[in-house]
Amino acid sequence: MSQKRRLAGTQSSQSRVFMPNEVVMEEDEDVSFTQPSSSQLQRGLDRLTPAQVDRKVAEVVQFILIKDQKKVPIKRADIVKNVIKEYKNIYPEIIKRANMKFEKVFGFQLVEVDPKNHAYILVNKLEQNPRQPAVMSPGHPKTGLLFVILSVIFMKGGVVKEPVVWNTLKKLRVDQGEKHEEFGDVKKLVTEEFVRQRYLEYTRIPHTEPLEHEFRWGVRAEKEVDKMKMLEFVSQVHDQEPQTWTKQYKEAMAAKGGSSRS
Amino acid sequence: MSETRRRTNRGPLENPEAQRNGVAGHSGDTGDEDEDAPRAAGSSGMTEEDDDDPAERRQLRHQYRELINSVQQNREDILSPTNNKLTEVLEEANRLFVNVRQTREAALDAQFLVLATDLGKEKANQLHADGSAFDPSAYAEHLLSFMGLNRLEEAEDSDEEGASSGYLPQDAWRKLAKRAENCFRTTPSFHFMLGSFLAEPPPPRQRVERQRRAPVKEAKRIMPTQLKKMEESHQEATEKEVERILGYLQSYHTDDPTSPISYYEFVTDPTSFSRTVENIFHVSFLIRDGMAKIYQDRDKLPCIGTKDMSSPVPEGEAEGSSSRQQCVISISPRSWKEIIEVFGIKEPMISAPNSATFAGSQ
Repeated sequence: MSQKRRLAGTQSSQSRVFMPNEVVMEEDEDVSFTQPSSSQLQRGLDRLTPAQVDRKVAEVVQFILIKDQKKVPIKRADIVKNVIKEYKNIYPEIIKRANMKFEKVFGFQLVEVDPKNHAYILVNKLEQNPRQPAVMSPGHPKTGLLFVILSVIFMKGGVVKEPVVWNTLKKLRVDQGEKHEEFGDVKKLVTEEFVRQRYLEYTRIPHTEPLEHEFRWGVRAEKEVDKMKMLEFVSQVHDQEPQTWTKQYKEAMAAKGGSSRS
Repeated sequence: MSETRRRTNRGPLENPEAQRNGVAGHSGDTGDEDEDAPRAAGSSGMTEEDDDDPAERRQLRHQYRELINSVQQNREDILSPTNNKLTEVLEEANRLFVNVRQTREAALDAQFLVLATDLGKEKANQLHADGSAFDPSAYAEHLLSFMGLNRLEEAEDSDEEGASSGYLPQDAWRKLAKRAENCFRTTPSFHFMLGSFLAEPPPPRQRVERQRRAPVKEAKRIMPTQLKKMEESHQEATEKEVERILGYLQSYHTDDPTSPISYYEFVTDPTSFSRTVENIFHVSFLIRDGMAKIYQDRDKLPCIGTKDMSSPVPEGEAEGSSSRQQCVISISPRSWKEIIEVFGIKEPMISAPNSATFAGSQ
């Protein structure tokens, strides 16, 4: 009885509803973020004015835009810790609305790339117009380097051993052991920065002596790179038709179908 | 006999080579007995003693390692579709295996087999690509052409072997990037028009250090100047006082050149013991600098006089000039009172500094 009265008291003073089982949930959340249930969500939304929610959504959008400058996946934990804070009980709703804003206002899409650690990236949904690029800035040379590596991996069937990449780059006057005037420490750029940005996956091949590594496409590459356009460009420099690379062409077509369906 | 030998020889199997590669260790273990028997057919004719020649075994292992090494080094060559080197190295390994007797060598053979299988798999992969095969080297050449490589012009540092020579323009990568960009659906990152700030705040640690360091420096800077000033003023004060006393001495002398001035009467201030001590101190400078002299009168009492005057006591002066003597004068409040009583001093001959003007007019 006394407990009931106490709960009623908090309800009126802080306008928060506590149910006995929810108290347990709150304790859990301190250790690890748990997804609030839909009823909790609804109750959380009821407690806030639409303006408050809109404001939070705008803050999240801004936070993600700034974080996206580095192209490193944005962790859910960071969003919650730095922006959402006490609104975390309505987290899914805020992210849903933020994503809507990204799609409607910016033509972006917020993609969860790491379901285990909950990290997001922003992907441009708009078709690039080659004659009128959306970005006026001159091409960043790093994009060229990344393109070469990704295209080699793609054309070689999805995975290549490390030496293949370095041998190809060496022919392009980029040596992993030397400091490049535009890329600096190339080895670091490729095996660390591109990997952190999730453009590349750099993994050890098991049972190899001495140690060997292989490259694959990272999650961001899968989301961002248009395989058909890549194949077209590769074919263009070879002065061939894209269809002559049967396997790659099939894969690019499948990817195209997949992305248009989603 | 042979069975026990095999047991003991399992030891070497646990060496690093066998351990590192589980597959090799395993196949080496069994292959020794049955699976590879046809390949090792020659072994049956050998006697037990021949099995265990350490030098021969070492030689064999060395050959295996050489072979493995060369395959690893020339991997790319072997993979090339037109190359038959894989068959060659496999035959070479077969030739070596004829002499293999023990598990340790067999393990090396298995390790080689893993490598060869891996190469075979990759060669097979190349075949699978129905349609054109992709050759990264050719691709690189095409890319160089696209990036605007001028093959007629020599690059400044074209000493690399194998790489196609020619001059690669500065904006080569930029050009490639520009073309490649439309394959990426990258979001354009926004930038602030008036510059940007770092998304993450800089570590505040540095600032704390700087603040702490600054006051220390300033305090250090102030300290020496303060000391210097004090020293200067003190020295000046002493010098002035010494000069003032010299003035007294000279005026007393000109007032009455004939009568000697008693030292005790001169320095003692009946109103202040500390002033007396100060006077003694200052007068000692006059003596040191030769501005005044001290000599004894007929009663063996010390007298003071200026130096440049013709002294009424020639013998004392002769003594003083030939050898400079030093002495320490000690004075206590009791002896000070005694002196006042004995000499009947009523007034100080040297007045206190603040009444200097009055004394000077005397």
